[in-house]
Amino acid sequence: MSRRSLGELSSYLLEGRLSQRGCINGRRLSSRTVPIWPCLRLPYALRHLHTQPVAAAAAAAAGHVPLRKQLKEQAKQAKKQGKKKVKGDSQTADGWELTVGIEIHAQLNTSRKLFSPAATSFNDDPNSHVALFDVAMPGSQPLFQKETLIPAIRAALALNCEIQPVSRFDRKHYFWWDQPSGYQITQFYEPFAKKGHITLLARDGIAAEDGESVTVGIKQVQLEQDTAKTLAQAGSVHWLDFNRVGVPLIEIITEPEIHHPRTAAVFVRKIQLLLNTVDSCVSGMETGGLRADVNVSVRRTDDPSKKLGTRTEIKNLSTIKAVEDAIIAERDRQIQQLEAGGLIAGETRGWTVGSKETRRLRGKEGEVDYRYMPDPDLAPLVIGSDLVQHLQTSLAVLPDTELDKLVDHYGLTAKDALSLITLDNGARVQYFYRVLALLESKLQAEPDIAELPEVKSYATLAGNWILHELGRLTTYKAGPLASGDLSFTQLGECAQVPEEDLSQLLYHLYRKHITGKVAKELLMAVYLGELEGGILEAIESNDLWFKEISQQEYEALAEAAAEGEDKMLEEFADEDKYPRGKLMYLVGKMMRLGPTERIDPATAEKTMKLWIERYHGRGEAA
Amino acid sequence: MTAALVRRRALTFTRWNANHNRSIGQLPLRRSQSTFNHFVASTKLQPVSPPPQLRSDAKPFRLAVKDNITTEEFPTQCASGILGQHASPFEATIVRQLRSRGASIVGKTNMDEFGMGSHSTHSVHGPVRNPLAATDEEDVSAGGSSGGSAVAVAVGDADVALGTDTGGSVRLPAAYTGIVGYKPSYGMLSRFGVVPYANSLDTVGLLARDVEPIRSLVFDTGLYEEHDPNDPTSLRLETRQRCSQACSPNLPDLSQLTIGIPVEYNIAELDPSIRDAWVATASALESQGARIVPVSLPSTKEALCAYYILAPAEASSNLAKYDGVRYGIRGSEGDAAGETLYSETRGAGFGAEVKRRILLGTYSLSSEAMDNYFIQAQRIRRLIQRDFDRVFKLDNPLYEPRQFDLSEMSSDTALEDKQGPVQVDFLLSPTAPTYPPKLSEIQKRSSVDVYMNDVLTVPASLAGLPAVSVPVKVDRSHQFPAGIQLIAQYWDDRRLLALADKVMKLMMD
Repeated sequence: MSRRSLGELSSYLLEGRLSQRGCINGRRLSSRTVPIWPCLRLPYALRHLHTQPVAAAAAAAAGHVPLRKQLKEQAKQAKKQGKKKVKGDSQTADGWELTVGIEIHAQLNTSRKLFSPAATSFNDDPNSHVALFDVAMPGSQPLFQKETLIPAIRAALALNCEIQPVSRFDRKHYFWWDQPSGYQITQFYEPFAKKGHITLLARDGIAAEDGESVTVGIKQVQLEQDTAKTLAQAGSVHWLDFNRVGVPLIEIITEPEIHHPRTAAVFVRKIQLLLNTVDSCVSGMETGGLRADVNVSVRRTDDPSKKLGTRTEIKNLSTIKAVEDAIIAERDRQIQQLEAGGLIAGETRGWTVGSKETRRLRGKEGEVDYRYMPDPDLAPLVIGSDLVQHLQTSLAVLPDTELDKLVDHYGLTAKDALSLITLDNGARVQYFYRVLALLESKLQAEPDIAELPEVKSYATLAGNWILHELGRLTTYKAGPLASGDLSFTQLGECAQVPEEDLSQLLYHLYRKHITGKVAKELLMAVYLGELEGGILEAIESNDLWFKEISQQEYEALAEAAAEGEDKMLEEFADEDKYPRGKLMYLVGKMMRLGPTERIDPATAEKTMKLWIERYHGRGEAA
Repeated sequence: MTAALVRRRALTFTRWNANHNRSIGQLPLRRSQSTFNHFVASTKLQPVSPPPQLRSDAKPFRLAVKDNITTEEFPTQCASGILGQHASPFEATIVRQLRSRGASIVGKTNMDEFGMGSHSTHSVHGPVRNPLAATDEEDVSAGGSSGGSAVAVAVGDADVALGTDTGGSVRLPAAYTGIVGYKPSYGMLSRFGVVPYANSLDTVGLLARDVEPIRSLVFDTGLYEEHDPNDPTSLRLETRQRCSQACSPNLPDLSQLTIGIPVEYNIAELDPSIRDAWVATASALESQGARIVPVSLPSTKEALCAYYILAPAEASSNLAKYDGVRYGIRGSEGDAAGETLYSETRGAGFGAEVKRRILLGTYSLSSEAMDNYFIQAQRIRRLIQRDFDRVFKLDNPLYEPRQFDLSEMSSDTALEDKQGPVQVDFLLSPTAPTYPPKLSEIQKRSSVDVYMNDVLTVPASLAGLPAVSVPVKVDRSHQFPAGIQLIAQYWDDRRLLALADKVMKLMMD
């Protein structure tokens, strides 16, 4: 199985915010810049859960910055501050052990609120979906909407939790204008799911120090209400939109078992992917549907007591990157404090995207006592084992299982497999399966082939095209005729590039009936709707069939290309420093000298390489 | 108190005096004063929804509604400054149910703010006065917190009144004003539209001069069978049917009944003349063939403590919504640094007793006190309920039948036979330990002394059991009748009311 190095993969996953504008819609795809995680986008449409409008406004201003520019800026910043440390080094701090626990709030994918039949909505007119109970109208009462249990239980199952047969709702009291009843209904004493865990793998991008995999315990998952949305106005005026109040959330609380900042970030991202896969939570961090609070503490590695240090909580982290950055900043602050002989105060801190330090929000003395009280209007929540069974058996295939299949069986790289799974909310991988099935049947029908070739050989080709070539279509190269983003149905159908056309095209390409260049042009024509009679007719009528030159002709071309390049050929003498770039130059020359449309670059390269080997007397065996 | 509040209060009084010079009617009132401050003056509102469809069996009657039950025709302000003239956008289920049965609402009645009090004195409208007091005497308590409702019935302004009973708030004013006050089984009548004081204890209660109108409304018109999907604590239909099957609908002859006298209710503070009324009632029942036995409810002593932890705890939570953002008047300050948005609003809007209970509840729910107070009180509540289940013949239909171990009972419990101690159909006790006190006396008492008044009514509330207070006048020379309380097993309401009717008739002769 071909695997990227850990370092490459993780830097790719975490720093590689290669597309700021939505990998989901497939923009800006190219073979070099494959966006993987929708969550890596900068938060331009933040929608905080339980948060102050100030932070949202500041974050929203961050906007879109090209990666290259950002990297440059980062380097500049680092230089200014005299910090030579690069990201990869900041996972550990000598002599100290970091411990992190995470709380994730995620909006459930439900049509009704947790305790009222009002509809959940996203961008509807403010205060258009509000029941009496949502605004705490005197005399109104909560009505538990049992349908909300389905996504909640799915989430808990995806996190390997034990579903509790009986759980209860409690009131958590605090005054805030976005909380109309003066308390939030949550599950403090008896949550509906406990004792889960998820395993993070090296390919997920965890810190190298965590090795091949690390398992993080989930202490509990609880159901709770969201708050109203504050719409900051000019001056000191705030408007409140109660559409969001009472929308069901789950809060996922981990054990304090994470010891590296990147692993914490990967954890949050994986939770997001899992919740999305099992259809529990449809909007991610970028739309404010998911938010993380992290608890950070440090202790000296040689401390014999093994007691955890005093922890601080950083609230409202709204991007994956913020999780890692905030933990690093807070760890370093705590270490600095302790090394200077100080103490850590148990307090709540905040983090602004792009900043270097966490800031104090409120200290212990400012902490509110939530006075958790069982809600006297709500009966215990009794979850039948039949429901749990049913949801368990109908649970979607989890990403790890699917990823394994794509890598092991189909031979995709972990990176490409991840991209396929995450793009278009999972529709892209469905499209991949459809195209692959058609391609397979075409190969089976081929009279010249005795048995089907190794699945990996054509699956990787299909994967490559479905990710990279398809992605290229919607870039500016397609010109003004481009119909915009590719759209896929949930079942993986794409009207712009029908699976029949693509599989036909890939079939001919795989069988070397056409060249890659021709195939790309055909694909563009399909996308632009320029082919009227289908792929085959287009090839026939334009005579695009690939009529490859003979091996002798390749040899002759290699000879001709090498002519007058003696100086360059000398550079191939040292096998350890093989100048691949030079080889490609020579191959290019071959293509120019010969009839380009009849030359297969791969064969040309092979021929050229062999020719050079012979030139240096290394013979066929090499 | 803000100037605005004072102004409004003054206005309320003037309006009231100008508009309500109605005669008191047939009651033997010795008071010249025409009002007992039992109604809340308010402007009629334009209802948002059409009146409910009248049932075919509807009979017109006048209904007074306690001001913590929402109505579309009148504002609902719970005798609190913080709710102003709150116009509820919806009407309580119980109000609609009664309107469809012929009720016309004569007004909203005065009460203790949010139902917190035993004398209807903690009201932004001022105290309710007891119509039974002699004219030349000082004002006397009408009981609380549904004092206004009780007086409306007592003086004949209403045929039936709605009250709420959390720890005795219907039974106590009924006892003080000489009428019938009924607190049904918890979960029978819908609380949707009842502004909660303590949800786990709150029940809608009915007051009338006789048992019959109450019994007829609840049972003949099938009120007890109606589940309200808007109230999560309203019993579901299947449960109602199951409960009804467990209890016989008919009261047998008195000779078939065993009535328990809970010995723990014979407290030292009990007024001797009330004790006499209690004994007289028991004797009268015995003379009719009923078997009267002493029973022990050992957890009773802790009931009052448990009640005054649980009810304020829930109250502190329920009242958190009155923060000046949507409900309550806003102070001049915002929430900027150094300013206090919430405390100013709440400080100005709530009365002293409500503030006291919010503080009590806030403390007992705080993380350091939770285990010692709230959790312990919940345990006591369970014990009290078990006590009742132990003495009643009928099983509690909400639970699997329970076996009680003799070792759990106090050693001086008398055994009936080898099966164990005697079990009873009903419990008989006084409703209040004393006759209604003078308002001036109440002011001198500490709040704990005032809370003592609820000692006989809170156990049934904590256990969710039906209870009714009926007036019994034994000492003819005494100005006030005594309130006698009957308590029954859960959902045994129908037989309870039948017995209450019998007791009342028996004692009137």
